[in-house]
Amino acid sequence: MDRVSTGVAGLDAMLGGGLIPGRPYVVSGPTGSGKTILAMHFLAAGLARGEPGLMVTLDEPPNEVKANVVAFGWNLDRLKLLDATPDIKAHKRQRSVIDVGTTMDVRDMDQVGEIRQSSQIRAMEVSVHGVQKMLKQEFFQRLEKTRERYRRIVIDSLTALKMFTMQGEDSRIMIQSFLRFLSELEATSIIVSERLNPGILETEFFLGRGEIRFHKALDGNVIRRAVSIEKFRGSRFDDRIRPMTISSAGITVDPQGAVTMSGGRLARLGEAYLEQRMSEEVTNVIEGVLKMIEDAHKFRLSVSDVEHAISRAMLYLQRRNYQKALKAALHAQSILRERMDHARQGLPGLPPPPPAVAPPPPGVKR
Amino acid sequence: MINGKIRTGVAGLDRMLHGGLVPHRPYIVSGPPGSGKTVLSMQFLLEGVQGGERCLFVALEEPPNEIKANMRPFKWPVDDIEMLDANSDIRRFEPTPVIEISTEVEPMRMREVGERIRKTPDFESHEVTVHSLQQLLKNLFIKRRYERVVVDSMTALRYFCMREFEETLTTQSFMRFLAESKVTSLLTVELPEEGEVPPEAFLARGEVRLHKLRDDTGIKRFISIEKYKGSSHDEFVYPFEIHQGGIVVQVGDGGKSPAAAG
Repeated sequence: MDRVSTGVAGLDAMLGGGLIPGRPYVVSGPTGSGKTILAMHFLAAGLARGEPGLMVTLDEPPNEVKANVVAFGWNLDRLKLLDATPDIKAHKRQRSVIDVGTTMDVRDMDQVGEIRQSSQIRAMEVSVHGVQKMLKQEFFQRLEKTRERYRRIVIDSLTALKMFTMQGEDSRIMIQSFLRFLSELEATSIIVSERLNPGILETEFFLGRGEIRFHKALDGNVIRRAVSIEKFRGSRFDDRIRPMTISSAGITVDPQGAVTMSGGRLARLGEAYLEQRMSEEVTNVIEGVLKMIEDAHKFRLSVSDVEHAISRAMLYLQRRNYQKALKAALHAQSILRERMDHARQGLPGLPPPPPAVAPPPPGVKR
Repeated sequence: MINGKIRTGVAGLDRMLHGGLVPHRPYIVSGPPGSGKTVLSMQFLLEGVQGGERCLFVALEEPPNEIKANMRPFKWPVDDIEMLDANSDIRRFEPTPVIEISTEVEPMRMREVGERIRKTPDFESHEVTVHSLQQLLKNLFIKRRYERVVVDSMTALRYFCMREFEETLTTQSFMRFLAESKVTSLLTVELPEEGEVPPEAFLARGEVRLHKLRDDTGIKRFISIEKYKGSSHDEFVYPFEIHQGGIVVQVGDGGKSPAAAG
């Protein structure tokens, strides 16, 4: 299968050669972790091979984007920038429909000068739909004029785009449609997105055909950087977290290096899962015992010791001491089972509870 | 068939399920993105077609051409699996006629799936709603007897196809529809990396969960049966790997399982 280089050799190695062409990918990570720089690597690598690239910028105006990459010394003159940063909010009454607007503005990197002035005449709304419209217009104008298709597209960032999404729009559907739109252009695209809340499954993360994730941690007073591939459909990939650096040459990934993420958020991820798993297991046992206790009451069995044990288990569970909770719950379960079995053997006569265990006073517990 | 159960196509999983799945019911396969849900469900259908059953894959997350390309490295004989493209078109904002999927789309065999993505037509667009999809499946189930059906994914169905519906109730009724249709179905559900399990998981008769954990040596995958009504099952969490031949679960007894010889 053909592969598309990300422009970072170490990362391509992790991806088994590069990205699969024509699909949308997500690049995620905290602010300042290198997402935009990777996007630039990706576009520069394309230009070097004669593949036209388009950058849709929503976070920073083009002049800032340009200033930020000058230091790396790449030739990005032929890169097209679509400026979708919002205009200054118009407060005029007649324009009230459009809260955040922008102007259709695509230019070569070497044409980027000062910041664009907010348009007085015609503002386009900054929304998923608005950006999609601008992108489409640019894509087909280019195709018509130069018979060239954009091969690489970067959206920086979808997080910004989502924030501008107009009220009433269903952002999940808008993003699904937007990714479909990118797929149908048959360009390889990189979507920059920040994972704001790991508890919420955001559309682009499961619809994207892969995710490259950047990590940044403070180790003493040094920033340690790392990169991992979380998902990559249709290909094998290196599933370790690899160290990386950002220097004047851009991003360098060491595809053989090891990262020890001690105590970081990554290590805790597994714990959260185990904790959930344990608490579920304990809850199940407790629920089972509670049900049996009900039955036991019907048989008029004395079960107050079991009730004691189970309430102890619940207390442990509340304190998140899962091992003790499970032990107490299982103990209660086994006493109760045994007693129930005895009772059943004596059916249907329902003999009084066996006096084996010290019969405590009638249940105080609810 | 072992005591009336059907095989999943993953030997180790069958062992965890004490023989396989009770037929004609909907089951959930849940897990975070990239945990192996699509691969597992493809193996489930492969097992079916190899036994001469009619099998349907309902694609809601990825275009069929990509699914086909992604499965190629496994070299499975998937040609006879039928593929229903239930991906919505690009949404239009101009007033153009919206075509309901139920009136237009037919499944195609995997061998007929092309190399390139289907393009949104210029003057109309398909919109897939849960209602239209259910109608379409209903008609299909009458016309052709499908034994196994995969819906990939329920999350996409809930996120993108239930705009004007109450999500939990609609999901429930969709699953009920599948149960009444007498097909054995696997429904994939995307899980977030942390936090709560989405409502779909509570509604099925059984749930196979795939877990993704990271340690210093990379991504570790685990599989567990979270729920299986009407059958005993293994309570433990087993590690699994995705090999050349597909998913291989390392179930304890008798050492490594011989794996599905593709």
